Amino acid sequence: MIEANANIDPLVIGGKRLQSRFFLGTGRFPSPAVLQLALEASKAEVVTFAVRRVNLDDAREDSILQHMQERELTYLPNTSGANNADEAVRIARLARAAGLGTWIKVEISANPRTLLPDPLETLRATERLAAEGFVVLPYTSDDPVLCKRLEEAGAAAVMPGGAPIGSGLGILNPYNIGLIAQESRVPIIVDAGIGSAGDVVQAMELGADGILVNTPVAKALDPVGMAQAMRLAVEAGRLSYLSGRIPRRQYASASSEAEGVSKPALSLDTDNNGNSARDVKLDAAIAAQGENAAREAAVALASDIRQHAAEAADAGKELGGIG
Amino acid sequence: MKSKTFDFSLYVITGENYHPGRKLEQVMEQALRGGADIVQLRAKDAPKREVLAQARMLRDLTARYQVPLIINDHLDIAQAVSADGVHLGQEDLPLAEARAILGPDRIIGISTHNIAQALEAQAGGADYIGVGPVFPTGTKPGRQAVTTSYVREAAERVTIPFVAIGGITLDNVDAVLEAGAKRVCAVSAIVGSAEPAETCRAFKHRLRAFAAMAMPDPASKRIRVNGREDWTNAGNVQELVRQYGLQGARIVVELDGVILSREAWADTQLAEGAQLELVHFVGGG
Repeated sequence: MIEANANIDPLVIGGKRLQSRFFLGTGRFPSPAVLQLALEASKAEVVTFAVRRVNLDDAREDSILQHMQERELTYLPNTSGANNADEAVRIARLARAAGLGTWIKVEISANPRTLLPDPLETLRATERLAAEGFVVLPYTSDDPVLCKRLEEAGAAAVMPGGAPIGSGLGILNPYNIGLIAQESRVPIIVDAGIGSAGDVVQAMELGADGILVNTPVAKALDPVGMAQAMRLAVEAGRLSYLSGRIPRRQYASASSEAEGVSKPALSLDTDNNGNSARDVKLDAAIAAQGENAAREAAVALASDIRQHAAEAADAGKELGGIG
Repeated sequence: MKSKTFDFSLYVITGENYHPGRKLEQVMEQALRGGADIVQLRAKDAPKREVLAQARMLRDLTARYQVPLIINDHLDIAQAVSADGVHLGQEDLPLAEARAILGPDRIIGISTHNIAQALEAQAGGADYIGVGPVFPTGTKPGRQAVTTSYVREAAERVTIPFVAIGGITLDNVDAVLEAGAKRVCAVSAIVGSAEPAETCRAFKHRLRAFAAMAMPDPASKRIRVNGREDWTNAGNVQELVRQYGLQGARIVVELDGVILSREAWADTQLAEGAQLELVHFVGGG
C-alpha cells in the first residue's frame, strides 16, 4: 500500500527533506495562542512570515517568533510589500540577516486589488536571489510556461496560485495546475486562493507536491479545526494522487459481474436500460456472430450513446454546469 | 532589584480617581507600553491592605517592563513587595530615618517646594527630588504653585536628578523643559487620558526633542529611524537598539541602506543624519 510517508515519498526542497507537505502562513490569526494551536494541528514544518518595520513606540509588542521558538521549523519569510525585483531582493537580504535560514518566498504584487504577482519582476528576483544562494520559492501566477521559466531561473520550488490571495476561490484553472505539476522538475506548492479542505484535495490530486495556506485557516470559524482538516486533506489528496484515480467514463461500469443476476430469464432480454446488459449484449454479439453482427450492435450502441449524452447534458445544465 | 545609577525621563504616578471604570493594572500597563520609565504607587487614602495588593500587582508589572517601582510614603509596603524605593513628602518620615530603615541600595525621592528643601534633600542623600507643583494641580489642591522659576533655579543648583511635577500636560510641558527640566512627572495628564500609551509617547518625544535641541548635547544627533525623525545620544548602533528597548529582540538593522550584522552593532558609530531601518518578522502568508 502506498502511504503518506516521507521515507517512501519525500518532499525535498533546497536539500531539506520535509515530513509534511502542508505549509502554513502566520498572518491574520485571531490571537498568538490560536496561531500556536493551529500550527500544532497542522503539523506544518514550513511557516511563512512577512518582514516589517519594528514599531518603535511599542517595542514590546509580540514578535511572531516568540511564539514558535520551541518548534523545529523551516522559516519561509516572504517579500510581501515589494513592488519590483530590487525591493524583493532587499527584503530577502534583510530576512536572511535575521539568522533564520536562507529560504525566501518571492512575492511581488503588481496590483493592490488583486495582489496578483508581477511575472517579469518575479522572474528577475528569482534569478538574482538564486544566484546569491537563497533557496527561492517564487509565488507566481498559474502559467505553465512561466512556472517552467522560474524553474530554469533557479527556483527550488515553484508556487503557483490557485486564485488571488485570500480570495478562497479555489483552483480556478485545474488544467494549468495539473500541467504545471506534470511538467515541473522542482516541487510545485499551490499557494493562494485555497478556500477549504476540498480545494486542498483537488490541488494535491492534480499533482501538486504541497500546499501553502494562510487566510483560509486563520480566518476560518475555527482555525484549529481547519488546520487539521487541511492537513488531512493534503494527506488524502497526496494518497489519492499516488494511488491513481480511475479514468473518467461516460457511462456506469458495474461493480459486480453481470453473470448470475437473480431474475427471470425473460427480463434480461427485455430490459435494455442497464449498461451492463448492453455490454453483455455487445460482447455476446462479437463472440457469437462475428464482425458484421458486431458492427450492427455497435451502431445500435452508438445511437444509445447519443441519446444518453443528450440526457446527461440536460442534467448538467440543471446542476449548474459542473465540469 | 535596583541599581543606584538609575535615571529616567518620564515619571508616572498612579491616580485611580482619574480613570473611573478602568483598572489600575490596565492603565499602568498602557503607560509602560508608552514609555514610562519609572512608576510610583500613590494611594494616600486607601486602606493599607489595598495599597499592599496594588503594590504587589505593580511590582510584577514593572518587573516585566524592567522599570523601577517607587512606593509613596509606605516604607513597610516597599519592603514587603521589594519595591525599588520610596517617595517621601516634607511631612512624611524624614530622609535620614528612611535611609536608616531601607539601607543604601534603595531609591529615596523627596518632594521639594523650594530650593532650600532641594539642597537639604540633596545633602541628605536623596537619590532624586521632585520639584513642584509647577502648575496648580488637582492632585495637591490648595498648594501654591512654584512656577517654572523654581524649575530654573533647580536646574542651576541641584546636581542630583530632579523631576518637575504638578499640573504638567502636553500643552505646558514645553515651558517646563525650556526652564531646564530633563525629567517630568505627570499624573492626571497620563492616567486620566483616554490613551495613556499615546500620551506617554508624546511626552517622550517632547523630552527627546528638548534633550537634543534646547539643551545641546555634543553627543546628540538627529537621525531618521523607520522613516521618522528622532534624536539620540547613542554612540553606536548597539546603544541605540538598547535605547529603543529592542535588546534581545530578533531584529535586523539596515544603516544607510546597508545591512549591519549583529556583531557589528557595537563597533558601528552613529553619525548625524544616519538613516536606519529596524525590521523584524511579523505574521504573513
